[in-house]
Amino acid sequence: MRSFLSYLIPPLFIFSDVLASDYHEQLNLKPLPQSSLLASFNFRSNTSLSQFEAHNFRYFPRSLGQILQHVGTRELHLRFSLGRWDAESWGARPWDGTKEGGTGVELWAWLEADTEEEADLKWLTLTNALSGLFCASLNFIDETRTTRPVMSFQPEGDHGSTLDNMHLLHGVLPHEIVCTENLTPFLKLLPCKGKAGISSLLNGHKLFDASWQSMAIDVRPICPLGQECVLQIEQTIDMVLDIERSKRPRGNPIPRPPPGHDLKCNASKPYHSGDTCFPSDFAEGEDWSLDRIFGKSLKGTCPLTDPDAPPVCIHVPERRDIFTTPGASEMKSPDGLSRCYQVPSEGDFSMMLPRMSREGDNAKTVADETVQPETPLLYAERSFTGHGQDRGGVQSILTNPSPDTIVEFVYMESLPWFMRIYLHTLQARVEGTSGAKDDIVEEIYYRPALDRVRGTQLELRVRIPPASTVFLTYDFEKSILRYTEYPPDANRGFDVAAAIITILPSTSPGAPPSRQKTSNLRTTSLLLSLPTPDFSMPYNVIIFTSTAIALAFGGVYNLLVRRFVGADEGAEVAGGLKGKLTLLVAKLSAKFKGAKGKVE
Amino acid sequence: MPRLLSTILTLRRDPRLLKLPPYLSLLCIVVGVVWLLLLPLDDYSRRTYISENALLPGQVHTYFGGSDQNVFRAYRHEVDALKDKTNIEINDGLETIIKGIGLKVGRQNYTYHSAGNTYAGENAYAILHAPRGDATEAIVLVTAWKNVKGEFNRNGVALALTLARYFKRWSLWSKDIILVIPPDSRAGIQAWVDAYHDAHDSSNVASLPIKSGLLQGAVAVDYPHEGRFEGVHIVYDGVNGQLPNLDLINSINNIANGQMGMHSFIQERFGHSDKYNDRLKTMLRGMMNQGLGHAVGPHSSFIPYHVDAVTLQPVGNGWHDEMGLGRLVEGTFRSLNNLLEHLHQSFFFYLLIHKDRFVSIGTYLPSAMLVAVNFTIMAILMWVKSGSGDGSSAVTGTETVGGKKEVVTATPSAPPTAERELYLPLGIVIACHFLGALPLFIFNHTPSHLLAPFFLVFSIFNVTLPPLISNLVNLTATRPLTLQQLYLLKSFSLLLLGMFLSSLATLNFSLAFLVGLVSTPLSFARPWPNHAVVRYAYAALLHIVSPAAVVLAGTAAYASTMGLGENGSGLLDTLEYVLSEAAFGWDVWGLYIPLVVWCVWWPAWLVGSLVVLGQPGTKTKMKSA
Repeated sequence: MRSFLSYLIPPLFIFSDVLASDYHEQLNLKPLPQSSLLASFNFRSNTSLSQFEAHNFRYFPRSLGQILQHVGTRELHLRFSLGRWDAESWGARPWDGTKEGGTGVELWAWLEADTEEEADLKWLTLTNALSGLFCASLNFIDETRTTRPVMSFQPEGDHGSTLDNMHLLHGVLPHEIVCTENLTPFLKLLPCKGKAGISSLLNGHKLFDASWQSMAIDVRPICPLGQECVLQIEQTIDMVLDIERSKRPRGNPIPRPPPGHDLKCNASKPYHSGDTCFPSDFAEGEDWSLDRIFGKSLKGTCPLTDPDAPPVCIHVPERRDIFTTPGASEMKSPDGLSRCYQVPSEGDFSMMLPRMSREGDNAKTVADETVQPETPLLYAERSFTGHGQDRGGVQSILTNPSPDTIVEFVYMESLPWFMRIYLHTLQARVEGTSGAKDDIVEEIYYRPALDRVRGTQLELRVRIPPASTVFLTYDFEKSILRYTEYPPDANRGFDVAAAIITILPSTSPGAPPSRQKTSNLRTTSLLLSLPTPDFSMPYNVIIFTSTAIALAFGGVYNLLVRRFVGADEGAEVAGGLKGKLTLLVAKLSAKFKGAKGKVE
Repeated sequence: MPRLLSTILTLRRDPRLLKLPPYLSLLCIVVGVVWLLLLPLDDYSRRTYISENALLPGQVHTYFGGSDQNVFRAYRHEVDALKDKTNIEINDGLETIIKGIGLKVGRQNYTYHSAGNTYAGENAYAILHAPRGDATEAIVLVTAWKNVKGEFNRNGVALALTLARYFKRWSLWSKDIILVIPPDSRAGIQAWVDAYHDAHDSSNVASLPIKSGLLQGAVAVDYPHEGRFEGVHIVYDGVNGQLPNLDLINSINNIANGQMGMHSFIQERFGHSDKYNDRLKTMLRGMMNQGLGHAVGPHSSFIPYHVDAVTLQPVGNGWHDEMGLGRLVEGTFRSLNNLLEHLHQSFFFYLLIHKDRFVSIGTYLPSAMLVAVNFTIMAILMWVKSGSGDGSSAVTGTETVGGKKEVVTATPSAPPTAERELYLPLGIVIACHFLGALPLFIFNHTPSHLLAPFFLVFSIFNVTLPPLISNLVNLTATRPLTLQQLYLLKSFSLLLLGMFLSSLATLNFSLAFLVGLVSTPLSFARPWPNHAVVRYAYAALLHIVSPAAVVLAGTAAYASTMGLGENGSGLLDTLEYVLSEAAFGWDVWGLYIPLVVWCVWWPAWLVGSLVVLGQPGTKTKMKSA
């Protein structure tokens, strides 16, 4: 992963040194095992703080900039994610997991405020404004979903002395489904707005059909030594595409079985014949091209981008054949594991990776097709235990695959208030290394939930010994909600946000560079089913009783109020208009007489 | 008004009122049985319908087929090659194939001990991650290596592998798909489901290495059938007589009949004419399965965890091939995939009388309730009788007609409420109920080869037990049981029976009905102190309906249907099979039916026999007089 990122990090330092205001974009492709392809889009623009404060937006999107200025946001991180990263096959996460969020929407920001109340107020304004800007339900991040993490997040930017009155607030919406409506405003923030450059490849149909995808926006101030501070906005889209699925044309996305003769078969099987085929799906590799995968070709370069940075890079072994459209120049990296392409500024660009034959004089192997993914520092998996409507438990399985290094991390859970955890049941059990102590939890920060006011916040600092697995378990009780607190949608259950794992940088001096940075990891979200009444039943009962009461009431009221008079008795009175008039006259005269009588 | 009250008061004192309850009780039984027999009629049953709108069964095109059949054939060759291997080798082979498809594979060991036998094995399962999902929900496809009858599920496993490969190509799944291949259909899947819900005993059943989210439904494919088939047999009974949501069965019916042009059958009634006769047979078969509460397929173990599940078995000779069944599963999975919430809209309590006709709980429940109520009525009557002291004098009266004790009958003209001697009867009833733990323990902890001899010994012992206890009570107590005490004995016992059965009826209707029906003679059991013939005749009748006799009769009937009951040893083998099956159910599936038999039914029967054999002595008569 380090070498994969090495293309991004040097330009970051070079260009922010040279230019106060610039724009940079790059697409990194990385074929993964099992015919998947990781595509990382990175867009970064800088603007100097003084220009930003003078409302002089150049590359920085004005819509976002104004919101940030209005609520005093110093640093902002917004994530839209869908699907899950399959660490077992795909290895370590892109950007060390720092540019991804849990399923749904995640937002955290450092706000400048004197008091906590002021910060809360600003946070409310921020979430509501961003909600409108990104067409997401961010306004549902209310006080019950907001936490103030203590150990998990550190500011990425340079804040200097302003850090003292900054407040970190964090909110998650695990049930938010990320969709095209979130991509459109995302693209609008870009200087080339998806019309040219690598952003022209982005298309909702492909992005949201990906096996895993994450859209990230990071805003942070950066102060290079001896230079003016700049405000940097970095937008990232990472997605893992299934090559076979993405190659299907848009007009015919149904995975119909291919004709028998097109099936890739393992011919070495003894029973192999015209109608019997043992499939060899992943063994032979895939041929793919940029325009088939994304459904369109790359439309030149964005004219605002830095012309020296190559816009497209691919991370494949040296022996992999790649063909590109004419006019593009290839630059191979010295380690032979990646190459970058300089794209002509006008016209379409595409690259084609043919299927590599496994036989013949130029036979290739799987190792020639993809670079072996790096092993992640930590595997994490979380699931519910127990069953029933009353209680449950959560089990997190954290595995340190490294044979010799200790991994230290902060495990953070922000749970909804209706999941009341029993902290005394929190247990950490180590398996793997012999003689490992169970007291691996070094520090606990726990902020208990208050019903309907705030959720539980639990942060644990844990050290996992090498080559061992930690089972972190705790029990909880499900509370019963008031009937108005159930969401109006179908009762699928309540989503519990992903646990956030922050792997702390290694403190030992001899650690490899990949260990000297903070990296992140998120588990999958959980679905909590609470005891739910059948809402249609009280509704039916209410309607039924109302009808019954209405019918009965009508009859009874009628009986009580109506005066029954014989038909012959009331005949002359009820004789049309004339009868009414006479009645009126009679009444009036009676009254008059009565009044007269009183006077007398 | 006062006149009405006085009429009621005189009516209350009327001795004829006490004559009424036995007839009322009989009426309840008769109405209960007739009610059940009326259920298959059109007026009392309803057509099934899809209640959950999200399911949309049969509304999607299914694309499974074409070259997938080539793949299926290849997988079948692979499965055939593994046929005679050991469990571990089979799972190794399956793991290679499944990993080749691109799924995550997990394996789980389990060991169960029951009736001296060990049931051990290793489950293989795989999770297909929903491409855009978040591991919060899952649907399960189960193909056991062997079905409940022990047949090799050759086509089922190959079909499941082909389907898994096909499902992997779709991106529309909102739920993970879990493919489970246990080595057998009984213990393995139970171990897997228990471990998935973390309800397993971790010393015997290993935890699952990988898991997904909440299970929203499960479909098991039981396909040892070779060649083309005519239709699918939908097996739906769960453990302890719990049933899956009716919507699931309806959806599969709908897809099979409407979309695939396949027949579907339930309760092994192939060729259902939809006439009264067939409907009744279907219903009774369903009630039998529900009453026995055993697992009838790999799906059964899911149902206690509120995971709706069915087993599909291709049957008959027709023109449908494996791909047709695959499309049926695909259609069902697409429907389940549509679900936004857990299946809850439709019925969980129903009796199916035809694949598209059912009787809902409101209609059938009164039948079991009426049978249960008859015990309560008799219990109340016995309580009243025991208090009036009238009964004893009546008996003395009849006994001493023309004797020297004419005076005795004359004196107690309108006796006041007698003092009830509660402790002895109450003690006996409680002791009998606790005694039930003994056979429960014996039959669940005996090695299987001893089960049949033990049961025969128990049956013989069972015959001698009531006189034994009767004599024992008479010996130890200062005096033999009085008539009042016998009444109280019966009252408490029937009160308990009525209460148990009416609460059981809401959980397992069929079991409550069947136990209630067989126990009806207990309602009319009474001491016949002076009619030895009647007493022994009634005691014999009670022995015919005793739990032991009913188990034996059931075994014989089962043996004769299986063609095993030709000789004594076949019968013994069947008995051993039935009893070890019950022990297996108790140990592995968590069946509560043995508990009902030995701790509810058997004690009630025992007390009933005591009442019949009771001979209120002369001392009593003197005392009451």
